[in-house]
Amino acid sequence: MKEENKSASGKGVMGGIIFFAGFILALIVGWVVFPNLLYSQKVQPMNFSHVAHQDSSCEDCHTFRADGTYTGVPKMEKCKECHESPMGNTEDERKLVEDYIQKDQEIPWRTYSWQPDNVYFSHAPHKAKGVECAQCHRDVAKEKSLPAYKENRLTGYSKETMKMDVCEKCHAERGVNNECELCHK
Amino acid sequence: MKLGRRAFLQFAAGAVGGTLLTPIPWQLMDDSAIWSQNWFWRPSPERGEITKVATTCMFCEGGCGIQARLVDKKRAILLEGNPTHPVNAGGICPLGAAGLQFLYAPYRVSQPMKQTKKRGDVTGLQFIDWNEALATLSSKLAQLKSEGKAKTLACVTGQRRSSMDDLWQQFFAAYGSPNFFRMPAPTDSLELAATVTLGQQAPFAFALESASYVLSFGANLLEGWGAPGRMQTAYGLWRRENNGKAATKVVQVDSRCSMTASKADQWVAIAPGTGAALALGIAHIMVKENLCDTDFLKNHVFGFDDWTDSQGKNRKGFKNLVLTEYAPDEVAKRTGLEASKIRDLAKEFAGSGNAVVVWGEGSGNLPGNIYNELSFMALNALKGNLKSGGTVSLVPSVPFEPLPELQLDAAAKRALDEQRLDRQQPQRFPLPGNDFYAFLDAASNGAPYPINVLMVHEANPLYSLPENKLFEAALEKVGFLVSFSSYMDDTAQQADLILPNHMALERYDDAIGLPGVPYAYYAVASPILKPGPGTKHSGDVVLALGKSVGGNVGTALPWSDYKAYLQKRVEGLAASNKGAVADRAGMELWKLQPGDLVQANYKDGADLWKKLAGGQCWYDAPASAMQDVQTTSGKFELALSLIESKGLANAADLVYLPHFVQLSLSGDEKEYPLLLVSFPTMNLANEYLPNPPFMTKTVWDFVLKGNELFVELNPQTAQSLGMSQGSRALLKTPQGEFPVRVHLYPGARAGVVYIVEGLGHKAYDQYIQGKGVNANSIIEVQLDPLTGLGTVWATRAQLRRA
Repeated sequence: MKEENKSASGKGVMGGIIFFAGFILALIVGWVVFPNLLYSQKVQPMNFSHVAHQDSSCEDCHTFRADGTYTGVPKMEKCKECHESPMGNTEDERKLVEDYIQKDQEIPWRTYSWQPDNVYFSHAPHKAKGVECAQCHRDVAKEKSLPAYKENRLTGYSKETMKMDVCEKCHAERGVNNECELCHK
Repeated sequence: MKLGRRAFLQFAAGAVGGTLLTPIPWQLMDDSAIWSQNWFWRPSPERGEITKVATTCMFCEGGCGIQARLVDKKRAILLEGNPTHPVNAGGICPLGAAGLQFLYAPYRVSQPMKQTKKRGDVTGLQFIDWNEALATLSSKLAQLKSEGKAKTLACVTGQRRSSMDDLWQQFFAAYGSPNFFRMPAPTDSLELAATVTLGQQAPFAFALESASYVLSFGANLLEGWGAPGRMQTAYGLWRRENNGKAATKVVQVDSRCSMTASKADQWVAIAPGTGAALALGIAHIMVKENLCDTDFLKNHVFGFDDWTDSQGKNRKGFKNLVLTEYAPDEVAKRTGLEASKIRDLAKEFAGSGNAVVVWGEGSGNLPGNIYNELSFMALNALKGNLKSGGTVSLVPSVPFEPLPELQLDAAAKRALDEQRLDRQQPQRFPLPGNDFYAFLDAASNGAPYPINVLMVHEANPLYSLPENKLFEAALEKVGFLVSFSSYMDDTAQQADLILPNHMALERYDDAIGLPGVPYAYYAVASPILKPGPGTKHSGDVVLALGKSVGGNVGTALPWSDYKAYLQKRVEGLAASNKGAVADRAGMELWKLQPGDLVQANYKDGADLWKKLAGGQCWYDAPASAMQDVQTTSGKFELALSLIESKGLANAADLVYLPHFVQLSLSGDEKEYPLLLVSFPTMNLANEYLPNPPFMTKTVWDFVLKGNELFVELNPQTAQSLGMSQGSRALLKTPQGEFPVRVHLYPGARAGVVYIVEGLGHKAYDQYIQGKGVNANSIIEVQLDPLTGLGTVWATRAQLRRA
């Protein structure tokens, strides 16, 4: 009898340990391994230092067009305004001048916050309501090199792409319209 | 420790429990949904700066103002009507709206090609570079010229209201060949009708916007007649409530309930091809009951009363003719209408203030029988519509400076003209026009001389020419076929050499005058995008050929490129200091009256070019039809005194007068008991351009299902043939036999089979190739005995169950 009990309780403890091992392992896989598996890390075609451009204001490059649409990442035309010929002697600037400006080719930047086609998003009203850039985007004020671009292997979108729940939460908190067709037109 | 089944299950349970507390299931679920939105075939619009560029549409002759939406100035994503343009006021037709599909079509020819195998074998068409392509053609042309065979070079163009037409003419005259033709169009007969009645070589124009009563003899007003964008705008005006203005009444005389008929106030269902008889019946009532504009008839019309010809012979006048031969009972028998209906129509037409008669029977793509045109025009004359400020005038010319003079004297030019292949036929026509059919006939006989090189520009005659077999037959005898098409169309597939033109949205072009529109009009089309490297403007090719042939051909074409040539023309237009640029939204040019002063609002040629190239158009006031009459009588001629000198001096009185004549059809009535009539629709392109996929999507499944075409049949006729909706049948005409399906349509006349135009291509892509039957290969063309123009009114047909 005793032996049986002991053995039963031993089995129970053992079972608990095995269960817990599976539980912990799953947590490790889910929280540590999976995110690294899901996203591939891609480097940008060249580095860009926001710090090095602190003599200009954000709006010099990230502008709104006359029709209210937002230009996003500036085109090579913009870079050309200052870098037609190299201003310094960094490797990245050489790359910019020789590989892109002189060859008249756009830099194939990967956009960190690229919204899907079925989302209509306009920066203009957000700016008008005083939403700061850094509330949605990373703060680039002290950024010397561009972070790796993490691409979701399944969807092809950037990890930084804002999901709908974040939009909705902010809209709800501010009492802004949250109707479907506000963004999905 | 031994891990058994139990331990494994415990581990798995733990793992499942743990997994539920990680992002794995939730993230994967969400991502799968997003993944499913990104399958590769899903179109993804390019993002970037959106700009708009305005230009003029070149997909037809309608001269609509359009604007393209571009992304980063390099990808066109939308064509829409230009809301500030006076012709279409923001409207656009389905072809225009779907037009970007031509720009990015898989069937575009991206580089010159030459046939390396047997003609017609598409696998034998191989890319060559432009130097080789131009050298091939220019050496052929130089050789023909040096051998004295210049006249064996021929060309047919589909771009007639454009400076390209003038450039071709200049090239052909300098080169020494008279064989330059245009694709047949209703303008051919409208122009001849004006030539014989007014002595002026310009097609008739109709002030439809200000009309209060429109009597249309088969004109497909809403399906592409005249300038389609203008017609949309005019239709809007007719249907707009306007205080103090009576609503416009539209009466459509047509054997089939077409789109226009269904949108008209009244549909007069008439036997096919008998519109002219009805017109003369209406004239009978107007004359008999004294409902004509007697003042106009007395002072400005010749041949209304009996007249005397130059030999002193008494001849019957129009009045006498209609009173004796076109009494309502007589006309009722021919048209299938009731006599009372004819009386009512006549009184309504005669009693309306601004009534106008328009026409365009048959497919609307071809010229009409000249006597039909004259009969319809007679009604406008009886109503006094040709008076200054009336509803009928002539399309005004645009005051360009003449092109550099050729080193050919008038006699040489005349000799060239007489040698034109269509005028060398045994059957001579008293009033020859753009007789492309007669040319084809001569070319297929190879007599009196063969055609060594045929150039086809902005046209697809192998498909879009009614009775296209005639072109096919001529092609067998043509030594060398050159296509200038931007697309691998039915004709280009047969070419020995393809010199692809820039696509219509990638090149400079212009529109000179609008079909059927009274005010003077000129517009420039400028490229919305830079053309690809492998295509070349056909105008530049003509200029290059001129230079390489050299001599007087080179000096006749002195411009550096086609754009420079257009700029020179615009400079000449500016020098005339006439007309103005429509530079404001909402301009109602149709309100202009003959003699209105239009103040020039451009500084000089460069300024005018800038405005025109930016998508605005030039206009000037209309010209009265009666202001420059060139006939012997100095009046509008109801009796055509002109033809007396054309070898018809001894002809019967009837030959001189508008009368109803139905050309006899080939085939035995017993074998072919039905009539076949083709019709156009707004959502099937039936000329040079094929139907783009967006438009094909709008075609109903009772017009086309899969690859099967439906013909329309009256339910009673179908019943008598033992057919029902969807029945498969064989449609046989003297031209051949084709499998079709039957669609029962009460708007179809009993005993008539209706076939839609625009299907049955043998070229292009999977969305249009092999779909349905080409109406042009079934219908029969008849040559007008007076003008030699090819006309179509019906074809005898037989329909039997398959």
